[in-house]
Amino acid sequence: MKIGAPKEVFEGEARVAMTPASAKDLQKLGHSCVIETGAGMLAGFSDAAYKEAGVEVVKTAAALFKAAEVIVKVRPPTETEVKRLTEGQTVISFFYPGQNEKLMAAANAKGASVIAMDMVPRISRAQKMDALSSMANIAGYRAVIEAGNNFGRFFTGQVTAAGKVPPAKVLVVGAGVAGLAAIGTSTSLGAITYAFDVRPEVAEQIESMGAEFVFLEFDDSELPDGAATGGYAPPSSPEFQAKQLAKFREIAPDMDIVITTALIPGRPAPKLWTKDMVEMMKPGSVVVDLAAERGGNCDLTVMDEKIVTDNGVTIIGYTDFPSRMAAQSSTLYSNNIRHMLADLTPEKDGVIDHNMEDDVIRGATVTHKNEITFPPPPPKVQAIAVQAKKEKPKELTPEEKRAQDVAAFKKETRNQVALLSVGAVLLLAVGLVAPASFMQHFIVFVLAVFVGFQVIWGVAHSLHTPLMAVTNAISSIIILGALTQIGSGSALVVILAALAVFMTGINIFGGFLVTRRMLAMFQKS
Amino acid sequence: MEFGFTTAAYVVAAILFILSLGGLSGQESAKRAVWYGIAGMALAVAATLIGPGSGLWLLSIILIAGGGVIGYQLATKVQMTQMPELVAAMHSLVGLAAVLVGLIAHFEISRVTSLMASGFDGSEFATFGALIAKKTAVELNILRVELFLGIFIGAVTFTGSVIAYGKLAGRVNSAAAKLPGGHMLNAGAAILSALCLIWYFNTGGFFPLFLMTLAALFIGYHLIMGIGGADMPVVVSMLNSYSGWAAAAIGFSLGNDLLIVVGALVGSSGAILSYIMCKAMNRSFVSVILGGFGGPAGEQMAIDGEQIAIDSDGVATALNEADSVIIIPGYGMAVAQAQSAVAELTRKLRAAGKEVRFAIHPVAGRLPGHMNVLLAEAKVPYDIVMEMDEINDDFPSTDVAIVIGSNDIVNPAAQDDPNSPIAGMPVLECWKAKQVFVSKRGQGTGYSGIENPLFFKENTRMFYGDAKKSLDELLPKIN
Repeated sequence: MKIGAPKEVFEGEARVAMTPASAKDLQKLGHSCVIETGAGMLAGFSDAAYKEAGVEVVKTAAALFKAAEVIVKVRPPTETEVKRLTEGQTVISFFYPGQNEKLMAAANAKGASVIAMDMVPRISRAQKMDALSSMANIAGYRAVIEAGNNFGRFFTGQVTAAGKVPPAKVLVVGAGVAGLAAIGTSTSLGAITYAFDVRPEVAEQIESMGAEFVFLEFDDSELPDGAATGGYAPPSSPEFQAKQLAKFREIAPDMDIVITTALIPGRPAPKLWTKDMVEMMKPGSVVVDLAAERGGNCDLTVMDEKIVTDNGVTIIGYTDFPSRMAAQSSTLYSNNIRHMLADLTPEKDGVIDHNMEDDVIRGATVTHKNEITFPPPPPKVQAIAVQAKKEKPKELTPEEKRAQDVAAFKKETRNQVALLSVGAVLLLAVGLVAPASFMQHFIVFVLAVFVGFQVIWGVAHSLHTPLMAVTNAISSIIILGALTQIGSGSALVVILAALAVFMTGINIFGGFLVTRRMLAMFQKS
Repeated sequence: MEFGFTTAAYVVAAILFILSLGGLSGQESAKRAVWYGIAGMALAVAATLIGPGSGLWLLSIILIAGGGVIGYQLATKVQMTQMPELVAAMHSLVGLAAVLVGLIAHFEISRVTSLMASGFDGSEFATFGALIAKKTAVELNILRVELFLGIFIGAVTFTGSVIAYGKLAGRVNSAAAKLPGGHMLNAGAAILSALCLIWYFNTGGFFPLFLMTLAALFIGYHLIMGIGGADMPVVVSMLNSYSGWAAAAIGFSLGNDLLIVVGALVGSSGAILSYIMCKAMNRSFVSVILGGFGGPAGEQMAIDGEQIAIDSDGVATALNEADSVIIIPGYGMAVAQAQSAVAELTRKLRAAGKEVRFAIHPVAGRLPGHMNVLLAEAKVPYDIVMEMDEINDDFPSTDVAIVIGSNDIVNPAAQDDPNSPIAGMPVLECWKAKQVFVSKRGQGTGYSGIENPLFFKENTRMFYGDAKKSLDELLPKIN
């Protein structure tokens, strides 16, 4: 099949959907490639480079649309481009079908198949074609660079001969792909980085990137589980939002750079950085709003523009961060496209098999064979393992606690009284039948057991081995029995007693010495 | 007058013994406490030699001294890792002594009663004989019951301790083994003993006593044979308890209060220790004594994932980067004699300014407190050695947890899998640390024979090999 990449017509778009490198890989799949002249110019790929990679270069977009069976693009096709489509042609690009229904209908009317790169399901297997993530990664990186460009100070703290420089403090709101990329870039530049996200489970990821998680005290049972929504943070409750804003207000005066990345596809961006927070910031601070395209997370953001507020805070609302790094983003995007085509060409024979049974292809396809296939059914594979809901022990109210304590105390009293009375009855019963001489010893015995119980509970856990050795040594007290008997009676008794004395002698000395040896080893640091 | 003096000495000795046990509540006071014990013992023996047992005291002193020499040899030569064996072996001596003393008492009783019957008035008997001569028939019967019990417990302690010693020293297979018939044999022997008691009570003859002794010896042997290696801490403290009860029973028959007091102290101490150990394993005392882990109650959770191995370089890198480290030693450390290597590692890490602590599970090792003693021997300061409850909450904030030769005590299945045989047993939650290294000889399971999901966790790396060798390899790489 012939795969063609036209020059992007969207104003300011510098990316291209095919690079010389990706073209070579596409040819290995059995495809041939065609490109419109000058398509890669802004991203730093000349026509000559494409020719060298075996790509046919055509003069006009119209010629390209005629020549190619598969059109690969970055931005959604324009109306003119859709008009050029023919029956059976395939378009692979960002499409945002949720917002571009007219365009989708138009493409469908032409009989073309459309694969939307932004609709690739977020499952492990499809990560290699997840263009949203690869672009978000670039946007996050670029946001920090853009902020640094407009920030008049170092990121890192320095102590120099010419004076001390405090480190910059950066707050990243939303720890998705872009947010995490921004955190990584900002920490590696040396800034003290804080990050916030409504999903508590990403705290670990934030910390792993070297930022500090801005912790919000909130009952987690209400918190959304990101796994249910393909890894995106679902909208949060009003109470949560109020708390979140209060926290931001608290830290706003300290922050030098704020990068907001909170965006859920197909929804207006939540307002997280309000006007009063901007006013609290120091002059020279920078806000970079990565959600500007959907209205911005910051109240004052103007889409596609950089503004400076009255108190000297720069607010950047660009929407073309990936395009500002066209060489990098073209390389990554064209690789995503190539992976998509590799999945579409399972036999590597240059024949496209549009397999609608495949989760990934089915999910990304929005029109196919004169049929609108958007929205797709949920993928068969769960994107992210659903987190087991943690059962939290119920917080007890003071009254309940008191009631419990009282009940426990009552139970204990009952147990103790029962135990004591049973014991006393038993003792009395024994006393009724046993002679007085036995009872004397018996009392001693019971008291000794009691003392033993009281004393042993206090023994430190680490000293249990010495305790065993000591008790072993003193249980040789049985030597007294042997000693009292050794002198009285027959030879047999003497021999047996002598044996007993000898063995307990070993025990006494061995036991005490070992204990001393052990205890001598315990020392403080 | 003489007897009064002995009783006074006994009172002092009893108090000294109580103080000596009570003093073990802290490491520093414990050092003083041993001296109380020694003084108490010396006082008790001296008072007995001077007082009631004044016959043949030259022989007695020679025998005690001879025993002392052997005891000294044993105590100074024994390796700290062999502590459990030594303690078990010494219990067997107490048990045997109790049997002997009980038998002597029996011979004395029959001798005195037969002489009394033939017309002596009792005045010519020394000490114990004189005591018997004064007794009435009821008292004599009670005496018989007491010495019967003393011999029974002593005999069980004796064979039990010998088997425990054999298992701990590796001379007897440590797996639980039972003769065909299992607990029925034990029950049969116990019933036989009870029958012998009635017989003996009625006739006072030697044969029932002898028969019971054999039965008790068998019970001791068979009971301990049926208990697996992992339960040894309970077994040893239980035998400790038995030896105490045996001494107390003998004390009753001899009418000696000091024996009763000390026997009761030792008996209750061992009982409490056993209780603590059982609680730490979340098992009832009965199920430990009756031997072996029960079969699993249902399908155990399957474990997926694989055990990922790591070499010493990887461990060294992680340790060099870590700020806080918790080491969890187990019986494997004792077997490999790795405690000094562990201590060396601790010193190096602490010198690099890292926080190093030890987490000790109550049943780690083969003896209550076994790990503490080993670490103390290797000169690990005791204030960084923590108990399970003290340290369990700190794992989430720990960078690296190192598991050295322990298995069941770090098994997350105890919390996650209600069908696991060890379900509900409190465990060290080391998997909550950022990274876990497990030093282990191979892929085998622990004594309970249960798979350990910890080894399959994502943040766990297996550091295979003999613990001492692995650590020696690791040490030069720590900077």
